[in-house]
Amino acid sequence: MQLISLKVSEFQQFRTACMLSDLTPGINLFTGPNEAGKSTLVRAIRAAFFERHKSSTLSDLQPWGDSSASPQVSLAFDWQGQHWQLDKRFLQRKRCDLQVGDTHYSGDEAEEHLAQLMGYATPARGASKAEHWGIPGLLWVEQGAGQHIRDPAHHAGEHLQSALSQHLGDALGEVVSSGGDQLIQQVEQQRGKLLTPTGKPTGDLRDAQQACHTLAEELAEREEQVSRYQDQVDHLGQLQAKQYEVASQRPWEAQREKAKAAETQLAAVEKLREQQAQAQKTLDDFQHQQQLNHQQLEDFAAQATQLEERQKDKQKAEQQLAQCKEQAAPIEHQREAASQHYEDARQILTAARHKAHRQRLQQQLKGAEDKVRRLAETLAKARELHQQRQELNAQHQRQSVDIDALERLRKLELQLGQLQAKQEMLATRLAYRLEAGQQLIIDQAPVAGEGEKRLLRATDVAIPGVGTLTIQPGGTDVADLLRQQQNLEADREALLQQLQVTDLASAEQQASDARELAHKVEQTALRLGDLAPKGVDTLAGEHQLAEQERSALAASLAALPAHQDDAALPTEELASRQLETAQAQLEEAEQARSHHQQTLTLAQQALTNAEREWQRLAAAIQAPDRQEREQSAQRRLIELKAEVEQLQADINTRQRDIDAANPTVLAQDIKRFSDSADAMEYEARERASEIERLKTRLETLGAQGLEEQRDALRQQLESQQRRRLQLEKRAKALDLLLSLLKRERQVVTRKLQAPLQKHLNHYLRLIFPGATLSVDDNLLPQALIRASSHPHQAQEHGELAALSFGAQEQMGLISRLAYADLLREAGRPTLIILDDALVHCDRERLEQMKRILFDAAQRHQILLFTCHPQHWDDLGVAPRDLVSLKRATSG
Amino acid sequence: MPRFLHTADWQIGRQYTRFEQDDAMALAEARLSAVERLAALAAEEQVDAVLVAGDIFDAQTLSERTLHRTFQALAAYSGPWVMLPGNHDAALVESVWTRAARMGAIPANVHLLASPEPFILANISTAILPAPLTQRQTYQDLTVWFDHAETPEGFLRIGLAHGSVTGLLAESVDSPNPIAADRAASARLDYLALGDWHGCKQIDAHTWYSGTPEADRFRNNASGQALLVSLKAPEEAPSATPVEVGQHGWHQWQRQLAVTSDVDALMAELQALPARSVLDLTLQGQLDLASYQRLEQALGLAAGRQRSLQVHQDELTLAPTAEDIAALQADGYVGSVIEDLQQRQQSDAEGETANEALAILAGLLLDQTPASQSQEHPSCS
Repeated sequence: MQLISLKVSEFQQFRTACMLSDLTPGINLFTGPNEAGKSTLVRAIRAAFFERHKSSTLSDLQPWGDSSASPQVSLAFDWQGQHWQLDKRFLQRKRCDLQVGDTHYSGDEAEEHLAQLMGYATPARGASKAEHWGIPGLLWVEQGAGQHIRDPAHHAGEHLQSALSQHLGDALGEVVSSGGDQLIQQVEQQRGKLLTPTGKPTGDLRDAQQACHTLAEELAEREEQVSRYQDQVDHLGQLQAKQYEVASQRPWEAQREKAKAAETQLAAVEKLREQQAQAQKTLDDFQHQQQLNHQQLEDFAAQATQLEERQKDKQKAEQQLAQCKEQAAPIEHQREAASQHYEDARQILTAARHKAHRQRLQQQLKGAEDKVRRLAETLAKARELHQQRQELNAQHQRQSVDIDALERLRKLELQLGQLQAKQEMLATRLAYRLEAGQQLIIDQAPVAGEGEKRLLRATDVAIPGVGTLTIQPGGTDVADLLRQQQNLEADREALLQQLQVTDLASAEQQASDARELAHKVEQTALRLGDLAPKGVDTLAGEHQLAEQERSALAASLAALPAHQDDAALPTEELASRQLETAQAQLEEAEQARSHHQQTLTLAQQALTNAEREWQRLAAAIQAPDRQEREQSAQRRLIELKAEVEQLQADINTRQRDIDAANPTVLAQDIKRFSDSADAMEYEARERASEIERLKTRLETLGAQGLEEQRDALRQQLESQQRRRLQLEKRAKALDLLLSLLKRERQVVTRKLQAPLQKHLNHYLRLIFPGATLSVDDNLLPQALIRASSHPHQAQEHGELAALSFGAQEQMGLISRLAYADLLREAGRPTLIILDDALVHCDRERLEQMKRILFDAAQRHQILLFTCHPQHWDDLGVAPRDLVSLKRATSG
Repeated sequence: MPRFLHTADWQIGRQYTRFEQDDAMALAEARLSAVERLAALAAEEQVDAVLVAGDIFDAQTLSERTLHRTFQALAAYSGPWVMLPGNHDAALVESVWTRAARMGAIPANVHLLASPEPFILANISTAILPAPLTQRQTYQDLTVWFDHAETPEGFLRIGLAHGSVTGLLAESVDSPNPIAADRAASARLDYLALGDWHGCKQIDAHTWYSGTPEADRFRNNASGQALLVSLKAPEEAPSATPVEVGQHGWHQWQRQLAVTSDVDALMAELQALPARSVLDLTLQGQLDLASYQRLEQALGLAAGRQRSLQVHQDELTLAPTAEDIAALQADGYVGSVIEDLQQRQQSDAEGETANEALAILAGLLLDQTPASQSQEHPSCS
């Protein structure tokens, strides 16, 4: 197909006419800046084919703001040796005319004709949309949509397949179905009503199956009920038959009769047994009497012998009594002796005790006296010491010297001494040697002989008869010393005064005496402490107490009975033991006497008894009726013997009768027969009540119309089963049909894939040598497979959508060219329009794409619009500038 | 001389599971209306009594309503209805009869002969000897006692029994409820009215099966009738006249279809069949698409006219011709699918499925093809 010319007027940008003419086969390159009208031209071509001329929704085709415009497109093309001329006017004076050679189509017919030729659909109403565009939608690439391939290819799918299959028909057989896909959809939809995609029942089929299941269960239940009902009816019939039979026969009555007979028999036996018991009792009585009579006779015979024995017994008792009485005297004597002995021992013990008591008292008294004496001595000594100490204390008090004063005195003496020495040195020595008898008065004290005086102060030396010399020691020291001495001496005087001594020596003496006294006091106190540790008064108390004790003891001793000569007395202990022995002997003797008295009493008793026995027996033997009784007893014995024999015989006979009748078994029989009768009656009653129960139940059940319900259920079930079978059959058929359709369709698709693949690879070789572009069942490019850049990976598999934007666009273009080739081979018209294509290509890739485009242009007419003329200057064609074209046309 | 209406096997309460629900209900209802017609007939013919030889009811436990309706259906005839319990409504200790009696549903002129003793209709000097079933099945001849039954001098002796005459009916071999073939003779019966066999059938000069008044199965012939019996002098052969009572004829057809004319023939046959029949139609053979569609149409038409139409066409194969397929415009792979299905039709395992699938496919394709296509088969309508 070759587009020859295109003319638009009142169409968007082109308010006036714009004409593209002399279009050539191969590439036609149109350039122009943005807004130059490239896209408008493309839109015009699309509108010419796709839009229904009748459509009233195409106001976008009018120049902006000109609602009265009637957009018009005319285009001319050659196809299969014929010239096609299409004129289309929209919105105002709508028209569509198509002239093909000599044939003229108009209106809808023209549009249908075109659609069939190009392989697209026209919209029923409104503007044409992507899904209508079919093959042109795939081959005419809008600005910036080059990378989108799946949707356009999908919309083109059926047209493609139809177109291709017509061509490939010869080679492939009639494989592609014109309505196949729609058919598959319908079958799928209908199958979907019965089966889920995985083949599980759904919808009506599932409902029918479930209904069958439910109904079958209900039916089974109802059948079971019917069956039970029928069983119960049968059972009722049997029960009633049995009841009828039993009611006429009354079998329990026979049993009652039998029981009655057995009872009569048993009563007879019971009577016999009573008689037997009576006879046995009589027999026992007689036998007892026999024994008694025998005994009596024996007793009579024994009595004489017994009398003799009793006589002997009596004598023996008398002897024993006599013997016993003889023993009485010595036993009493012994007891008295023991009693005396005991009394003696008791008195000795008392005496011994008194003696021991006195001795103890005497000892205590002596001890007490010693103590009193000792204490008196101690007390005297202590008092003396106490006295001494008090005296010493007083002395010491008197002698005592103030130690501090003494010390101070000692110091004063020392200072005085030192002072004296100083004075000695400093004093004016007045040595004198007087003539015998001559004297001097020095300081009013006469001095004779030879001597020396040390003068410390002005001293008057009166020389009798001469006068008085006043010697004044020189210097202040002497005077000072003298004053010091006077002070010291004054102090000493005061101290001596205080100490009440004349001088230091006596003070020392006095102090020494005082110490000695203190020592003595201490010693005395110590000794006193030894004697009377708790003080003298306590000691005195103790002494007094001892004295009291002693006088108490002395009083006790004095109170004792008169002193006896008790040297022979045994000790208290010995006496005590002797008393015990005596007591034991006494007790023994008393016991012996008591025992003897008892023996004596017994012996007397025995004798009394023996005498009584003897008396009684003797009386019995001599009783007047004894003879008579003995004879009577013997007669009675003979009578009894006969009676016993008769009775015994009777008893034996009767027992045989009783044994033969077997009363135990008779009693069992009675029980057995009556029980049987009871059981039979019970059974009959039970049966009657069960019949009533069953009747009631059956009446209730019958009223439900069970069988009618069952039959209704059965009817429903079978109806559902028929429906289920039909649906199942239909589901199976649809399943089969769908699988076959899909399978066949796939087979066809696969057959179409091969040539498409071939063309794809043809282009791909130019851009990715060795790579392939895989195609899916819907003939859509799927993945790019090329040699891997990784050393370990043979191939690189890239989903189309995962490729870069540029690569996607390139693959899109390649795919379109391949479709175009395929269509061309199928003898279908191809026109490729690229509006600003491949703008995302890098330089190198663009070069290769240009080779591809150039190659494709050998087979197809390509209209290429671009605003980048410099990119396309090596396509081997002269570009046409739209701006100048527009100017030229409008002009 | 007395005249009777002899009928049997009403089978009231019977339900038809093999039919669709509305058909089944109508057929069940038809049994009641048959009884109404019997009553009308008896009144019209002024018979002396109606003898019902067993199986009045189909089951023992029916709904109260059904029981009431049954006895109410007798209203048109006020003479004696002499009824015999059959195997379906045996006089068990607890039965449909005891229940109906309890309900007070049984009118006074209905005489249920539930025990084997003569029933005297003195006004017409007739003794009826019944052989009622008191168990569901019995294997002894209950009519034996007829032979020695005493009846008043000069009275007609009429036997009433339900079961299979031994040795005469194919299905009676070893069957329950036997009846000696010569009972009428051995018991000196003037007429032996039998039930159990659903077709009207004469056994000997004195013995008849009346059949059911409303057909309920395909196999018995002469269903849907009652016998109008006229007795002459004692021991003289009675006259028994079948009278049509039933509404629905039951038909079971098996037809072979191969060519278009076969379809035409079948259509004619269907046309000729009385309306409100019950038809069970089995089709075999194979048809091209056009004939197949015509057949479908004809069957749809017939289904509307008849009470029930059941068609079994599992063995009828759809065999589209090349022209058929061309007409369907089944081009490309759809054509291959058709071929495949045609092949599968030959297989035993999925022949039926393939047949159905093909029919579906053809239907879809027909819907798809433009309207002009249908004009190719103007004869369809």
